[in-house]
Amino acid sequence: MSKIKTYALGALGLAAAVAAVTFLPSITAIAQNGGVVASGDDQTWDAFGGNQQAQKYSTATQITPDNVKDLKRAWSVHTGDVSSGERSTTWGATPIFANNTVYVGTPWYRIVAVEPDTGKTKWTYATHGGEGPPENQGLKNRGVAYWAASAPQAGQPCQKMVYVGTMTGELHGVDADTGKPCAGFGKNGVVDVNAWAPKNSKWKIGLLQPPAVYKDTLILGWAGNDWVYKTENPGTVYGIDARTGAMKWTFNIIPPDMENQTGTANVWASISVDPETGLAFLPTSSPSPNYYGGDRLKEMPYATATVAVKAETGEVVWSRQLTHHDIWDVDINSAPTLVDIKKDGQTIPALIQATKQGFLFVFNRNTGEPVYPIEERPYPASDVPGEVAAKTQPYVPYPEPVIADHMPPVSKFADIVSFGECSRWKARIRDEGRYTPPSIRGSISWPATLGGVEWGGGALDPTTNTYVVNSNVVPQIYTLVPRADADKKYGDKLRAPDGYAAQQGSAYGFKLENFLNMWGMPCWAPPYGNLSSYDMNTGKLNWKKPFGVVQKWGFYMPDSWGSITIGAPAITKSGLIFIGASMDSRVRAVDMKTGNVLWKHIVDSPAVSQPAIYTYKGKQYVVFAVGGNGILTPRLSDQLVAFSLPN
Amino acid sequence: MTQRHSTRGAWLIILASLIAMVICVYDYYTPETGLIGTGGVVLVAIAGLLMFLASLAMALVPNRSCLLQGFLVVSIILDIIGSSVAGYFLESPVIMAAEALALIGWLMNVIGDAADRSVEIDDVED
Repeated sequence: MSKIKTYALGALGLAAAVAAVTFLPSITAIAQNGGVVASGDDQTWDAFGGNQQAQKYSTATQITPDNVKDLKRAWSVHTGDVSSGERSTTWGATPIFANNTVYVGTPWYRIVAVEPDTGKTKWTYATHGGEGPPENQGLKNRGVAYWAASAPQAGQPCQKMVYVGTMTGELHGVDADTGKPCAGFGKNGVVDVNAWAPKNSKWKIGLLQPPAVYKDTLILGWAGNDWVYKTENPGTVYGIDARTGAMKWTFNIIPPDMENQTGTANVWASISVDPETGLAFLPTSSPSPNYYGGDRLKEMPYATATVAVKAETGEVVWSRQLTHHDIWDVDINSAPTLVDIKKDGQTIPALIQATKQGFLFVFNRNTGEPVYPIEERPYPASDVPGEVAAKTQPYVPYPEPVIADHMPPVSKFADIVSFGECSRWKARIRDEGRYTPPSIRGSISWPATLGGVEWGGGALDPTTNTYVVNSNVVPQIYTLVPRADADKKYGDKLRAPDGYAAQQGSAYGFKLENFLNMWGMPCWAPPYGNLSSYDMNTGKLNWKKPFGVVQKWGFYMPDSWGSITIGAPAITKSGLIFIGASMDSRVRAVDMKTGNVLWKHIVDSPAVSQPAIYTYKGKQYVVFAVGGNGILTPRLSDQLVAFSLPN
Repeated sequence: MTQRHSTRGAWLIILASLIAMVICVYDYYTPETGLIGTGGVVLVAIAGLLMFLASLAMALVPNRSCLLQGFLVVSIILDIIGSSVAGYFLESPVIMAAEALALIGWLMNVIGDAADRSVEIDDVED
């Protein structure tokens, strides 16, 4: 089918040319006319990553590779939380299933609780104004967190709680049964986390990612805005009492003596926890300003790193920096997935940290020692006055990175139809593969801020240690704009529609451009996205296939092109991968063994989230939050949709 | 100079174009199709409208010039080809089926017209 489509596309180009010459005059002529057990044997999905270990794994076996073709929509609800037209919503929430209820956070920072078998609304909770002003991070909610008291007090409310953060830096805690605010949590159910982070504050911090939960502690990071100012809120992670909302500890990522030179390096992605050791694993991001580091040359070892802290105290146990002196915005963007690797007759407690760079770092999760070797490889120097790029960067040769060391070649088709625009552009910018430093003349960023691996990370079958991860193949152009030129062209603007971000306070503004031709076609050869499977016991790549489908103006492009994906897979013991993420509005079931798509279903918009899988009253459900993302397509939605086998 | 041309198959093309337009309207407004609000279905709908007008002229104006006949025949076949390819990339079997129906109508008309011409020539030769 795919080959036919590729050939057909060529034929279409030819037909279009013929039509342009022959048919258009005719038209003119005629026209003059998108952990915790619930009850009995129900299998829960009680955290963003499916469980605390971020494995996105379900032991459910009802839906199998043999019968998945019969999967039907069980229920579908619309939350009412979709773009108003002025502010675009980006809904990446994972629904969670606990307490016999499906809970989901919405882009307008509400909680919606629905019945797991019918989708009928049990209750809703609104944060009222949680979306904050338009200049904040936006309407991006990635879900809610669930906590249950280990020794609940009978008859008392809030023995089970659901938490949602807001774009105004508030963490709301409500009773899981009723949706009523828990009076004992903060002030009338609201903790003002923003009040704890006042330094260099230009914005209210965004709590788009739900906190991780360990015993009675919530571990909370936040999202910042690190493209427009040199100094920002220094990235701080908070340990919070799950019952009272009191701050228990803080972990500071930026060294105190650097706080007036930089900021952020925050944890905006999800956090995983080892329930046995009580270690929390924090993926940290790059410091501000993201693309010029001349004012922050001092080493900041916790930035763009994986850091293990004690979940109940915040004490650092180990850390590993995965990009030195980050000037590419290659934030560590997903929770490490915990795995017990069986190697050489031993069981190694490990974690897998997928990155935007497309590397799979594998560390002993108790010590931070690499399970598979990491090399420090030399990379190019910066030619920007004031900047000093790191001489070496960590490189993981094995397991094989999900993307190559250099960007794909220029697409001949895109180049021809743009009269050589793609090749001319490529020729005049700097391209030395991974870690090519941003430059004044423009540099290829490979991989770009979209990854590699995006914020969903991968999924793991702990019975076989098979790890599945989706990845993007996207280069972009990074250009530094000297301050005088930036001031002259953009004045006081913090951002501009052409991709400009001010990095105000530093010597350079910054411009991000998509590497597209005049028709909006990618200037590089497909595939644009892949799905890969690894055996983590050996590090061997099982298979890697283009995943998803590009859809433009409604037209579906060949399967062999794959798609940029945002969101993540979830897998089942029965050998299925469920994933949305693709640019087309389809959710899919993929065979774990082969990577072949076994089932697909159209939903309202791209499902840029990770699905939840649970069983309720003996029936297995797969639920997707379907919200869309303006990066992929303009088509947005507020659909929560569940699939199951017919009775 | 006008002469009588075949109207055979024209109504089939009209039916096919109407089916294409209706399915495009449905696809444009229905989320479950995956094509809601897309430019591709608008393009096919416009092509369907043009095919409808051309085939209507074919059906209602039997006495037409050879130039108009040639224009209608070429326009409709290009419309069918373009819409079929679009239907393929839209992954819409209904659009492709409608275009197959239109193709049958187009073949009926072209073959019928050639047959009529042949009869007329035979009449002259007799």
